[in-house]
Amino acid sequence: MTSRRAGRRRAPDFLAYGILLVGAVLTLAPFVLSVMTALKTPLQLASEPVLAPPDPVTLSNMQRLFTEYGFVSPVVVTAEVVVVVLVGQLAFSVMAAFAFAKLHFPGREALFWLYLATLMVPQVVTVIPLYTMFSAVGLRNTFWSLVLPFVLGSPYAIFLLREYFRGIPDDIIAAARIDGAGTWRILVQIVVPLSRPILATLTIITVVSHWNSFLWPLIITTGRDWQVVTVATAALQTQYNANWTLVMAATTLAIAPLLVIFALFSRRIVGSIALTGFK
Amino acid sequence: MTTPVPGTVRPRTVADRPGARRRRRVEAAWAYGLLGPSLIGISLFLVLPILVVLWLSLNHWDLLSPMRFIGLANWIDILTDPTFGNSLAVTVVFVLMVIPVQTVLGLVIALLLSRGLRGSWFFRIVYVVPWVCAPLALGVVWKWIYAPFGGALNALLGTSTEWLTTPALALPAVAAVSIWSQVGYVALFFLAGLAAIPSQVLEAAAIDGASPWQIFWSIKLPLLLPTTFFVLVTGVISSFQAFDHIWALTPGGGPDHATDVIASRIYLEAFGGAFHLGRASAMAVVLFVLLVVVTVIQQRWFAKRVTYDLS
Repeated sequence: MTSRRAGRRRAPDFLAYGILLVGAVLTLAPFVLSVMTALKTPLQLASEPVLAPPDPVTLSNMQRLFTEYGFVSPVVVTAEVVVVVLVGQLAFSVMAAFAFAKLHFPGREALFWLYLATLMVPQVVTVIPLYTMFSAVGLRNTFWSLVLPFVLGSPYAIFLLREYFRGIPDDIIAAARIDGAGTWRILVQIVVPLSRPILATLTIITVVSHWNSFLWPLIITTGRDWQVVTVATAALQTQYNANWTLVMAATTLAIAPLLVIFALFSRRIVGSIALTGFK
Repeated sequence: MTTPVPGTVRPRTVADRPGARRRRRVEAAWAYGLLGPSLIGISLFLVLPILVVLWLSLNHWDLLSPMRFIGLANWIDILTDPTFGNSLAVTVVFVLMVIPVQTVLGLVIALLLSRGLRGSWFFRIVYVVPWVCAPLALGVVWKWIYAPFGGALNALLGTSTEWLTTPALALPAVAAVSIWSQVGYVALFFLAGLAAIPSQVLEAAAIDGASPWQIFWSIKLPLLLPTTFFVLVTGVISSFQAFDHIWALTPGGGPDHATDVIASRIYLEAFGGAFHLGRASAMAVVLFVLLVVVTVIQQRWFAKRVTYDLS
């Protein structure tokens, strides 16, 4: 009886590993295949099986991406956008969340409700009015058009930060006030240092979502000046449809920085997804 | 006048003193100062656009000639337009392909990962990799995988199927990429939900002789209802707006408009050449209303089901 039960338990373990392994291979295969292709010569891709490892391994696709196809500028523009949005969004979201969590003022509930309601607004709905607004003030196809809609804070970040700040005991803040600390000092020297974990999580979320952003940059920029990596990759693919070694070099470039971040912080990212919704 | 707010920082005795009113005013000034930037940002870039999109939907505007008020003409136009009707249908079918499959697969993966097998953390990380990558870039990668000549899938199958240019295959092919990129993310939520089930409950059921199958159907699944609700709502909302990878795989709405989801239709109307901003705005409002309705329906449906308090 007992041996049968033990046997029964072992078999599903075996099965579980099998299913999980197949899933992992299916998940990673597109990445491995695309990087392999990016490292092949066009000749090898055309003449040998897709699964054949790159031989010789060549960086010429990547090199041509930067020299002939102007991918330096998109990388720089995207990095600049990410840094500016990250700094602004975190700073202004921290300020707003602190006001909602720890200060008393008339209209607090109504305003917070308004902030929460904007979480429901889908991006597809706002891009057309935003496009007309930015065109009207002459900011279309500028650096500012890429960062302004996001740099002043995000309702999502404010919501998460407020939840976290509410967990900070009021006694600590009251004690600091008695010691003569003003609101700003309390925020910068007490609340922010106590909130490192949630700030780290938000940093990753913001970097990921703005490095990956596509629809808004596609609409608001034209030409090469302010093209971001995703838009440049899409344009390259449309223009050089059959040149897959080159196109896979571009997708590798678009994906690689995030894979590095993911490899470095995978535990934190995986841990925070279920906690925050990570969007 | 001096009713203490619950959770207030100041002790009541301080609030009753004469300087309290001034101090409250200073605190409110600080609050509005700190809220200033985000208030401007949210008003200008999230609230105002809703008003603008409603106004645009009542106008004819192509960016070149002056804007012209035409009342409900755009609305009548799009609601009788078979192309927009097709987009609504395509979007609903896309959501119906993606959501059930990714939810069930995500739950299965979570159940397998929750068995405490050695190396579970490795799978957990691997499954989430596609989620952090740019959907646009993943779409381009899959476009190559699906390519009829030189593409990985056909090379492996020894075929030369036109996955993305055959109307009947295009939408399932696009939906498969969606599922592939989101399944790990869904699994993580179920995993968190499973971890929240107290082990005593499961042990008690096992002692009472419940089979693993009974434990799943009678205990785990009902207790996972709040997680399922969250996964379904966020999944449906994001699938209804899906654009990036669909656009990368099948730009311009796909063969015979087979993958012309609402988001791609809105983009094409507004920026696909003719600048029909009014029509596109009306479509955007339809999408917004649809999302609100879907959310409310899901909320109602789940509110009727029992929720368990395990505290």
